[in-house]
Amino acid sequence: MNRTKENILIRLQHIDRRWIYLILWLVVMIPLLFPFKIQPRPTPPVTQLFNYIDTMPEDKALAISVDFTPDTRAELQPMVVSLMRHAFAIKRRVGILAISVYGLGLGEEAIQQVTEEFNSRARNHEDSVIYGEDYIFWGWTTPVLTVMLGMGERITNVFPVDYYGNKTETLPITKHIKNYDDIGVLVTIAASAIPRSWINYAQTQFGVHLSCGITAVSAADFYPYVNSGQFIGMLAGMKGAAEYEQLVRQRMEKNGMTWLLRNRGTEAMSSQTSAHLTIMAFIIIGNIAYFAVRRKRK
Amino acid sequence: MKRRIPLMIVLITGIFGAVAFFVPHPAIRSADELMRNDVQRIITAFSLVLGVGSIVQHHLLKIKRHAQFWPYSYITIIALLITAIIGVFGGIDVTKPGILPTRIASFSFHIQTIYSNMMVPLAATMFSLLAFFMSSAAYRAFRARNLEATLLLLSAFILMLGAVPLGRAIHKQLPAFAEWILAVPNTASKRGILFGVELGIFATSLKIILGIERGWLGGGK
Repeated sequence: MNRTKENILIRLQHIDRRWIYLILWLVVMIPLLFPFKIQPRPTPPVTQLFNYIDTMPEDKALAISVDFTPDTRAELQPMVVSLMRHAFAIKRRVGILAISVYGLGLGEEAIQQVTEEFNSRARNHEDSVIYGEDYIFWGWTTPVLTVMLGMGERITNVFPVDYYGNKTETLPITKHIKNYDDIGVLVTIAASAIPRSWINYAQTQFGVHLSCGITAVSAADFYPYVNSGQFIGMLAGMKGAAEYEQLVRQRMEKNGMTWLLRNRGTEAMSSQTSAHLTIMAFIIIGNIAYFAVRRKRK
Repeated sequence: MKRRIPLMIVLITGIFGAVAFFVPHPAIRSADELMRNDVQRIITAFSLVLGVGSIVQHHLLKIKRHAQFWPYSYITIIALLITAIIGVFGGIDVTKPGILPTRIASFSFHIQTIYSNMMVPLAATMFSLLAFFMSSAAYRAFRARNLEATLLLLSAFILMLGAVPLGRAIHKQLPAFAEWILAVPNTASKRGILFGVELGIFATSLKIILGIERGWLGGGK
């Protein structure tokens, strides 16, 4: 190895971290502004959840627990949106709750977006999604244990009023969703260990079917529960959200809903892919420089 | 007495909580329901008052003493007050207004606007910094120094490749192999760790219920 090459490698070893930050910023920003098309292929855990919801009996509802905070919104909010779209597309009732108080705003955002998408294109009463009939936002209450165990007995005891201040007993949907027996699957979307609590309390005592959507970094922690069947599939990170979006898009097209909807998870995949490749390149360059310096020292 | 009463409460409620989980008798069930739906909620409401009181007291003290970064304490208190007032009296959004007007011409400042336009971007900004630290750490510290580090590096590499389309271009089975790493070796090791953690939680809970572990009482020696 000649001296110039060696010097470059040594300098690379001590590169100012601000250059790394700048490169990463560009790599994330440019694909966001000029995205390239990536359609991830659904992995088995994602397909498993999709198929389960898709074939759920008509009288069973989908419950979504918005258990994450705004910092992970980019990664997890697309999951809430696509799960709601899926349920509405196949005419299943939806119940939304929040275990974290921060989840209230995120749940409300998703509800506003998805109901607007469906209602603005509805041609008749049948096509539209109506609050209190087709979906309900139970809101938030505390403590966690009260919610998880109480919902197994009677949901209206846990949430006497919904997020908007309506008495839940007076809403028609309450006749169809009384407790866990009426819920086909409860999907907890979280960036913490909350999905484990759902298993410990709600599933162990009441046998409710569960699934989860979690951040990519915590995916490894939940694979044991997917393998044991305690979770029906899993959506892991932005890739999981993008995969689910693809499946929902296909389902909606099959149902004649050929709408142009924004799929935030899929849109961000080009940026995430570029960032992954860059970090891999960083690791390779860092190791080459490390071994070059080590050889020189020997 | 100051120590005995809390220890007795923990002993009784702890044993009751465990019993209620396994005994489906109606009397136990209704007592358990009362504990969860009423007693716990009242305790939580008190903790909220305690939390708000504590944060206000802490920052007022900082302002009074002109402690380091004391002007920021004004921001905390003002933000807390404004958000609480709008949250309690201002309704949820434009469709569900409260008793407090939260709209000036076309500009609205109800709780959902504050949440979506302030809370969400601020929290996302903080979290996104992680990507920069991760890439810097990957460049500087992720080295194949020994066999263990090399194995970790290889698994991370395969998982990252499996997550991007390039992985499939390199080999069709690479994404499936990445999925296998997560589903089999990862699950095996995680299960072992989980058993250990759960047994540890069980033992610590028992120690607390029986009053052997008293660190939570505070008060030092």
